[in-house]
Amino acid sequence: MNGILPVFAHLAIVMALSPFFFGVTARVKAVFAGRVGPPLVQPYFDIVKLFRKKCVYSRTTTWVFRASPVVVLAAVMAFSLTVPFGEIRAPLGFPGDILLAAYLLALARFFMIAAAMDTGSSMEGLGASREAFFSCFSELALFMNFIALASCSGNISLSRMIGEEMPLSGGTLTPALILVVSSFFILLLAENCRIPVDDPDTHLELTMIHEVMVLDHSGIDLAYLLVAQTAKLFVFSAIVVQMIVPGAAGDRAVGIGIYLAGMMFVSILIGVVESCMARLRLDRVKYLLLISFGLAFFGFIVSLWRK
Amino acid sequence: MAIWLDASCILIVFFSLAIISTYRTVGMIRVFALQSFVLSLTPLFMHADALSVRDATLFVGTLALKAVLVPYILTWAIRHVSMRAETKSIIGLGASIMGGTLLIAGAFWVASSLKLPGTQVSDLIIPCSLATVLMGFMIMVTRYRAVTQVLGYLVMENGIFLFALSLFDAMPLLIEMGILLDIFVAVFIMAIVINHINEEFESAPAASSYSKMGESP
Repeated sequence: MNGILPVFAHLAIVMALSPFFFGVTARVKAVFAGRVGPPLVQPYFDIVKLFRKKCVYSRTTTWVFRASPVVVLAAVMAFSLTVPFGEIRAPLGFPGDILLAAYLLALARFFMIAAAMDTGSSMEGLGASREAFFSCFSELALFMNFIALASCSGNISLSRMIGEEMPLSGGTLTPALILVVSSFFILLLAENCRIPVDDPDTHLELTMIHEVMVLDHSGIDLAYLLVAQTAKLFVFSAIVVQMIVPGAAGDRAVGIGIYLAGMMFVSILIGVVESCMARLRLDRVKYLLLISFGLAFFGFIVSLWRK
Repeated sequence: MAIWLDASCILIVFFSLAIISTYRTVGMIRVFALQSFVLSLTPLFMHADALSVRDATLFVGTLALKAVLVPYILTWAIRHVSMRAETKSIIGLGASIMGGTLLIAGAFWVASSLKLPGTQVSDLIIPCSLATVLMGFMIMVTRYRAVTQVLGYLVMENGIFLFALSLFDAMPLLIEMGILLDIFVAVFIMAIVINHINEEFESAPAASSYSKMGESP
């Protein structure tokens, strides 16, 4: 019982908070564009609305298409269990769980791609091929980030690499941390289909990656995918915040306050980046991800240098 | 201030990497101006506890020359010859970025066995300056256009300047000003050279290059 309760608490936090920060980013973008924008709780409304709807399945699809939203949501939620949220420790943590985290993301992506291919639509195939291509580079960058963090902290467990035990801020390893954080932020934008890589707002087949793959999903399936998308953004932002502010503020309320402020800041930053940047041309995206890899690699070298 | 010094060293290397991965000439010049701006701040960070007139002079001189005048002249040069096209790289941008990261690793490896006299304020200055010099070399040899080769030369000079800063206390100001003047003269001459080269290009038959217009490099 003692082992199960934190898991559910963790999942509840992700489910409850992630749509809010998604809404914050949308609001920031609206303000930048001179609009009032949707209310901050709009993503909750969207999810509730989708949960009340029925699913429609094409006759060409198989069980892969029906399984994919469930698998994607389950994989992202399991991934969130390895990440600590401020004062709240990660329920799942063992040496080497970075591999589990990376491959859970890969599993989610694989089922996403498989479902898109399963519809037999050429447009979704296009999105799937792009996603597969970019994920080659983003996974490289993700692993380089993990290696750099492991080298900084001397741990290969995600919750320890970025958790309270991480003596980074203010220490001699700060330059490495700056590099890893900036690299991870690029990765966050790429993995969550934000603007320099993918535009979450357009439905134009020439430009989109993630949105085109969920075109055929409807009703509860789409709600699952939306929850998974918001949760993934939340967890990635959580990792960024956790790297900058590793917790241990002493007082629990202060710690939670700092943490929420950090999450707010990252969400606003994503909105600002999206508002100020144009989407990159598709063949330039790989250079952005290579830069992310390069930054992480540089961080790794600096961490070795400073040890 | 050690953290600020570390951060500016890292930023200088990052901007070199950014110049390598930029495909527009104007963008490269802007990143170079940013790099020079950060570089001009380093003498202030180095002697933050006891700022001297020498530091201030170096800051103002570097800022005026490298971060304002040189980018301005370069922008003027490419506007003058109306050449704003994307620059081509011999080995492609992806390979350039990977090469750049390998050069960073190489610079740190070399710096680990480099023993210099005197105490360093930050141990990152030497490897970062070496990395910047190497990446400047790489820009020079992998780019076709004359402007981008000048930029590579300037990035290299920035690296040398950073290296010289680490020997700041052992060196007279004359040498540093000499480096600045060197760059200034070099850019001035290069700008004239570029003008000549491009004028010659304009008179040459360009049919073969027109057919490739609109293609990505």
